[in-house]
Formats: sequence, C-alpha cells, structure tokens
Amino acid sequence: MTAWFTDNGLLLGLALLDGLAYAALVFMVAVGLNLVFGVLRIVNVAHGSLFAIGAYTAASIGLFLAAHGLPPVASYGALLLAAVLVGAVLGPPIERLVLRRVYGHEDALQLLVTFALFMILEDVQKLVWGVQPVANDAPMKYLGTVDVPFGEDVIPFTAYQLFVLPGLAVLTLAGLAWFLRRTLTGRVIVAVTTDKEAAMAMGIDATRVTLLTFTFGAALAAFGGALASPTTSLVPGVGAQTIVLSFAVVATAGLGQIEGAAVSALLIGLGRSVAVYFAPEFEVVVPYIIMVAVLLVRPQGLFGVPETRRV
Amino acid sequence: MLELHDLSVDIAGVPVLRRVHLNVPPGGRVALIGRNGAGKTTTLRALMGLLPVREGRITIDGRDATALPAHHRPRLGIGYAPEERRLFGSFSVRENMLLPAQVLKLPAAEIARRLDAVFTLLPELQDLAPRRAAGLSGGQGKMVALGRALMVGTRAVLLDEPFQGLAPALAQRYAEALARLHQALPEVAILITESNPELLRSLVERSFAIERGEILPA
Repeated sequence: MTAWFTDNGLLLGLALLDGLAYAALVFMVAVGLNLVFGVLRIVNVAHGSLFAIGAYTAASIGLFLAAHGLPPVASYGALLLAAVLVGAVLGPPIERLVLRRVYGHEDALQLLVTFALFMILEDVQKLVWGVQPVANDAPMKYLGTVDVPFGEDVIPFTAYQLFVLPGLAVLTLAGLAWFLRRTLTGRVIVAVTTDKEAAMAMGIDATRVTLLTFTFGAALAAFGGALASPTTSLVPGVGAQTIVLSFAVVATAGLGQIEGAAVSALLIGLGRSVAVYFAPEFEVVVPYIIMVAVLLVRPQGLFGVPETRRV
Repeated sequence: MLELHDLSVDIAGVPVLRRVHLNVPPGGRVALIGRNGAGKTTTLRALMGLLPVREGRITIDGRDATALPAHHRPRLGIGYAPEERRLFGSFSVRENMLLPAQVLKLPAAEIARRLDAVFTLLPELQDLAPRRAAGLSGGQGKMVALGRALMVGTRAVLLDEPFQGLAPALAQRYAEALARLHQALPEVAILITESNPELLRSLVERSFAIERGEILPA
C-alpha cells in the first residue's frame, strides 16, 4: 500500500483535484436538469446542447472582448453574459413551442422530441461555430496556478479549477437552497414539483412557473458550459458527454434533491477522474457503475424523498 | 354562487360526467353523495377548472367560469381540499396554509388575520403549525387541508371526501369543526362529497345524489 502510494500518490492527488473541478461543472448541469424534470416531468436530452451552446457563446464573447483590447478579467463577465443570453434566447421558445406540446404524453415520445431537439441544436452549433476546436482559456490563465501540497510533493493546479469552479458550485447550491426554501417563487416551484394539480388549485399559474423554471434551468446549463469553456477546447460532442453524465448524477441523487445532486456529482466526478488516471478504459462506465450500485440499494436514489404517509 | 349547467366531462375519452346539474347558493351547505367512481371527485375537479369541459357551463357568482384557468379560482374566493389531502410534504403545516394566500399576494396583515381566524376555528392546527406536512397522520392532514382551503375560501370551500378513512372520533371532530365553520362564517358556502349520506345529515341543507356520472332526481 505504501509502496503503491509512493508510486501513484501524485497521480491520485491530481485525479482528486481534477475530479473536484469536474464535479462542480457536472453539478451545475445536473441541478438544472433536476429542477426542469421536477416541474416539466420531461427528461430533457437537449439540456446538454444548452451546456454546449453556453460554452461556445462564452468563448466567442470572451475572444471578441479580447480582440477589442479588453482585459482578461472582462471575460468573466462574458461567462455570466453567455449564461443569461442562452437561457433567455433559447429557453422560452423551446418550452413554449416544443416541450409544451408533449406534456403528459408517453415518455418515449417526450424522449424522441427532446432528442430531436438535441440533434437540431447540435447542428445549429456546428453551423455557427464549425467543427474546428474553439478555445478561450483567458479566464483560466488570468488567475494562474497554485501549488497544492500533497504529501511531500506539490501539484501545480490552476486557481480557476481549484477555487472558481468549486466555489461557484457551492454558491449555486447555497443560493438555490435559499431561493427554493425562503422565497415565494422558490416555494411555488417546489409546490408545482410536488403536485402540479394541487398547486394549480392553490392559485399557482403552472404555465408561468413551467416557463420560468425551464428558462432558469437552461441558463444553469449554459452557465455550466460557460464555466467549462476556459478549461477545454470546444468540439462537437461536448454536449452529449455532459448530458449523459448529468443523467447519471440525477438518477443517483434522486428527484428534487439539490444537495443530493451535489453529493452525487462529487461522487461521480471523482469516480470518473480516478478512472481517467488509473484505468482509462473504464472512464465511460464508472459513472454508471456508481449509479447502478446506488440504485440497487436505494431505488429512489441516495436522497430520494420518502413518500407522504397515506393514513 | 356555484352552478354547473348540464356539465359533461370526459377523462381520457371516457365520459365520466353526463349533464350534471348542480347549484350551491351563497352560504349554502350542500352535499354530493355517491359511491366510489360515481363522479364526485370529477365534479369537484371540473368545478376547480382542473379538467376540460366537453359540454355545459360552470358559473361562479353568475359569471361564466367554464374556460377560466384553474389558478383563477382562489382569487374568486374558492378554497379546495382535494381527496387524499395533497399537502406539500416538504413544507411545514404553516407554510402549506400560507401558500395560497401568499400566491394571491394578499397584504401581510390580511394573511395574518386569516391565519388567526383559521386557528381559532381549528385550534389543533396551531400545535401542528411548525411540523412538516409529510409527517402528519391522515386525520391531521385532513384538518390541515381544510385550514388551507379556508385561507382563500372566503366565498366557498369544496371538500372532497373529508371523512373517508377517518377514525370515528376524528370524524366527529371534523364534523364539529364544520359546524363551527358555518356558525363563525355563515357566508362561506360548503360543497362536500361523501359516500355515506348518514354522516352529513345534520351538516348540510341539501343533498344531490350522483350515480354513474348523473345527478339522480331528488
């Protein structure tokens, strides 16, 4: 064990740091997916496209700003702007014109519709940004690297991935928990998630709440993408990879649990990145092994809510 | 105040209500009696705007409300306690009761006044107020559902099978609460569904019997 650690300790440390940064990104996407599923009862495959388009938009805005001589710190504004823009421009028409037509229909139809949407958005993305890699790592470079002590060694790691990503994920988690529990709009969203018909009978305009929630979820996905954009070169397919992982996170956490989504994003993010370093051939299956292991023991997910007592 | 004019409602293509005619006068106490599957719950859901109407009309205070979206009902002063309570499990009892009044954007003072009035009427809710709704027993849940309906039901409350599944002692308490409600707020109309006509005899002024989606002649 000690010998193994001497040989591989550094790699493990790197895997943990990588996993933490990755988990933060996956959490952003998964929590939006979870929120949207709670209200719309639709598993939105196109959620991954919103992530990808958010990433491309952020990179483009960032590059545009840099080309016009703005300092790198301005590209942080670009990250937020991309999220708001993608959420506001794509969210409402997708919900109003497409998803609204299939509420309450069979799951297979809903999946087909959101999958079609995913394919369309993927092509739109290729049309706009092409298939050549797009990259803007200015926001990450701007903060430099930090030497993380690990045993007797140090691991140089980007401050962006070490502090900004996990920090924003924690902030999102806390902000969302506060919003859903303490504000009326948040409680209305929870009410529609719990029981749409009862919520409507209590005076809640479910149509409006649905639009609002979807737009918000779309913006969260785009924000996840925007935050991911400085860490990688963007290529077609980045959306598919993200959505697949987010599904695993949501299923593992259980419906309606934002803290649960954080824990399972961490579990799956770390699991995946340990696999990347030590058994790369298992990278793709590890998230599912974790998911299946959890669902075998707890079919409602790690943090699934207990049913209301009937009698 | 509430009227159904020859209302027909289908669920998934199957006719469930056939030309149902029913009226609840202002401050009136009316029972809708029928066996399971007769169409009681469907009648109340249709009244609340939760089901599409195939034929006929719903009027509230003389105005056509057939196509009025469900969420506008509470604004007209109609409270609803659905079958199976349907409380929001992760909220406290107090939050459950406050929600419909907050959604209506009533002034805080008015909300506090209504909450007090409901607590006076149903004192046991005061002790339950901080508890999570998911942990309530069936009987407690029914009381909370009634309290929640009363928070916005200033003109009428629709109570769907409130006695079903209640132990006799609890049913007695619930009936007493309804009698108190009528005394304290005589202007609030009550429409209540039940399968056993005996239970409601002393509580209502008028009964309609429903069978296979049709109102039987009195």
